[in-house]
Amino acid sequence: MTLVVGVDIGNSTTEACAAEIGEDGAIRYLSEALTRTSGVKGTTENVAGVVDVVRRALTAAGRECGELDAVLVNEATPVISGLAMETITETIITESTMIGHNPETPGGVGLGMGSTVPFADLPGCVAGSAVICVIGAGVDFEDAAAGINAATARGVKVTGAVVHADDANLIANRLRHPIPIVDEVTLVEKVPLDMPAAVEVAEQGHAIRTLSNSYGIATVFELDAEQTRVIAPVARALVGNRSAVVVRTPAGDVTDRRIPAGSLTLIGEKTRHTVTMDAGAAHIMETARRVAPLADAVGEPGTHVGGMLARVRDTMSELTAMPVGEVRIRDVLAADTFVPQRVTGGLAGEFALENAVALAAMVRTSKGPMKLLAAELRDALGVDVLIAGVEADMAVLGALTTPGTDRPVAILDLGGGSTDAAVAADGTDIHSVHMAGAGDLVTKLIDSELGLDDLDLAEEIKKFPLAKAESFFHLRLEDGTVRFFDDPLPADTFARVVVLTDTGLHPIPTRHGVERIRQVRREAKRRVFVVNALRALERVAPGGNIRQIDFVVALGGSALDFEIPDMIADSLAEYGIVCGTGNVRGCQGPRNAVATGLVAGYALSTTYAGPVAVGTQSCAPRP
Amino acid sequence: MRPTPVNDRRAERARRTRPAVVVLHQVCPDNRYCLREIYAGMEEEGVPFGVEEAQTGSAAELAHAAAHASTLDVGVGVDAAGNICVHHAKLPPDAPALTGPPQHARSLGHNAARLVTGIPFKNVAQ
Repeated sequence: MTLVVGVDIGNSTTEACAAEIGEDGAIRYLSEALTRTSGVKGTTENVAGVVDVVRRALTAAGRECGELDAVLVNEATPVISGLAMETITETIITESTMIGHNPETPGGVGLGMGSTVPFADLPGCVAGSAVICVIGAGVDFEDAAAGINAATARGVKVTGAVVHADDANLIANRLRHPIPIVDEVTLVEKVPLDMPAAVEVAEQGHAIRTLSNSYGIATVFELDAEQTRVIAPVARALVGNRSAVVVRTPAGDVTDRRIPAGSLTLIGEKTRHTVTMDAGAAHIMETARRVAPLADAVGEPGTHVGGMLARVRDTMSELTAMPVGEVRIRDVLAADTFVPQRVTGGLAGEFALENAVALAAMVRTSKGPMKLLAAELRDALGVDVLIAGVEADMAVLGALTTPGTDRPVAILDLGGGSTDAAVAADGTDIHSVHMAGAGDLVTKLIDSELGLDDLDLAEEIKKFPLAKAESFFHLRLEDGTVRFFDDPLPADTFARVVVLTDTGLHPIPTRHGVERIRQVRREAKRRVFVVNALRALERVAPGGNIRQIDFVVALGGSALDFEIPDMIADSLAEYGIVCGTGNVRGCQGPRNAVATGLVAGYALSTTYAGPVAVGTQSCAPRP
Repeated sequence: MRPTPVNDRRAERARRTRPAVVVLHQVCPDNRYCLREIYAGMEEEGVPFGVEEAQTGSAAELAHAAAHASTLDVGVGVDAAGNICVHHAKLPPDAPALTGPPQHARSLGHNAARLVTGIPFKNVAQ
């Protein structure tokens, strides 16, 4: 009997599987353990994590370190991925002409037109003039209402108001003649004065009609065709709001500018193509497909994409002691996204959704410092350490222990940094690929599309379902069901969308509804994992034909996700493939595949038994 | 701790049936500005409210009593020092929804109203 521990060093977790192998090659699995990978995968920093996980696996099996015959590690090639976001449009308001924010409680209803006048100057206005009153910070609502009432009594037509504080309804309720009022304008002092302006507030439950229509604005300000063309982005930016202010300044306009985004040169083995980032993800991926297999990629210097690719290269060269010039980008994944960005020149902290392209890139070397790692492990553990096989091959061997699988099988390893695929046909050779883009990119997309600026929260949104706290005692979950609580929920979750994490409810501090957040989450997962699964299988499938594969087993941390495996299975259904989440050794779920595969592979190599099925513990001979 | 309202049956019936947040405060001239701000916060949110006076009681006790008197299950209590407490009738008496000093009166008024309308609370710090 030989006691071995297979150890899989992954990007984020290190897993171990302890087993005894009999003289006849029969494997008896004893225990497993899991810990966080210390340092970057495939480097000597991993020793601490490996030692920890081996000890824990042995303790779980009730064995001593001294009884151990060998530790098997996978040939862990460092896979490093980098992410970049390139915004390709930008909204700029020059000379501040638009207030397009959406206060929760604007006051009054209707459309008011007039020239902008500060509240202090209201008594000086001549009777009969139409004015829009601009009320700055520090003016009490009762004084504001009294001032406007007094002006109206004198014959000044006060047709609307712009207010700094959250006072719109309070002022409107105290006016003899109600006017539309937009409040919570934080930079009210920057509103240009003595300029023609229009204020519109729609009824509750309605959206504005005039200022969100280019011809509506043209009518209000008597614009000609050329001026209407210039004002069109203003109207577009106001669509769907309940309130808006447009001030017409002589030189002011809102521009909808396309930022000169960087370009990306994809170098294939035979051909090279340059594609600009603003062409969008579909075009970039199409180009990548045309040059495949990718030999390297270069970003335009001085742009985000150039900077990101340089960063990935530097990290890799540091880890592997390879000159920077020799590090090659082996895969890229682009995804279209949008980023809420503060409007340049906005007066009330308005945000506009800008188009962006997210890019993940991946580097891979075949010469990781594995020998060094093995030597250090040998010193630390005092046992023989074998580099027992390539990760993908071992994952296939491990995946085949899932009940109900058979060759030709393909595995999809859905990780944090990369999506890997390998296929094992009837022969012995296993073909594998690594694809850029996985869980980390999904987190990044969720973070930027919801404007959270909090990667930890985005990670939770990715991993756990949503709910809305409808009262202090019940939550409505995203599937519509209701869950009641005996103790009141914390006040900061009240009426908010929350994530149901394993450590409790975490409120999401945005105004997005459950549906919106759910849609962003699912779209992000689809754009990364479903796209990558199809791309990866196409690359490894015999003849590039996905239909040649019978079984697909999803493995890795992201295969534990509550919806990703289903989304992939759905998209593969049309190819007539059996696809599901792996259940290694019938009990481990999608975890521990590589570690199990290492043990199975070792058992195969040490016994002479002819063709042996590595998949099952009974070792039944294959026909 | 419930106060004895004026013995006017018609007013009493109207008060009970009209949906409103109840504000129960100790009578104290210094509370005038604080109360005005609470009322302003609720008015801005468009939620009706009614006001009653009390002689004794802490902000939390008054708020809890007010919440039970309110047809909307939401009450606001203000003690003699102007401390404010927002309570919901379904919460335990010692676990009020929100509490705060007089300086936060406006935000607490907003949030008392939002407790009724089911809109996430406004940041109290502003």
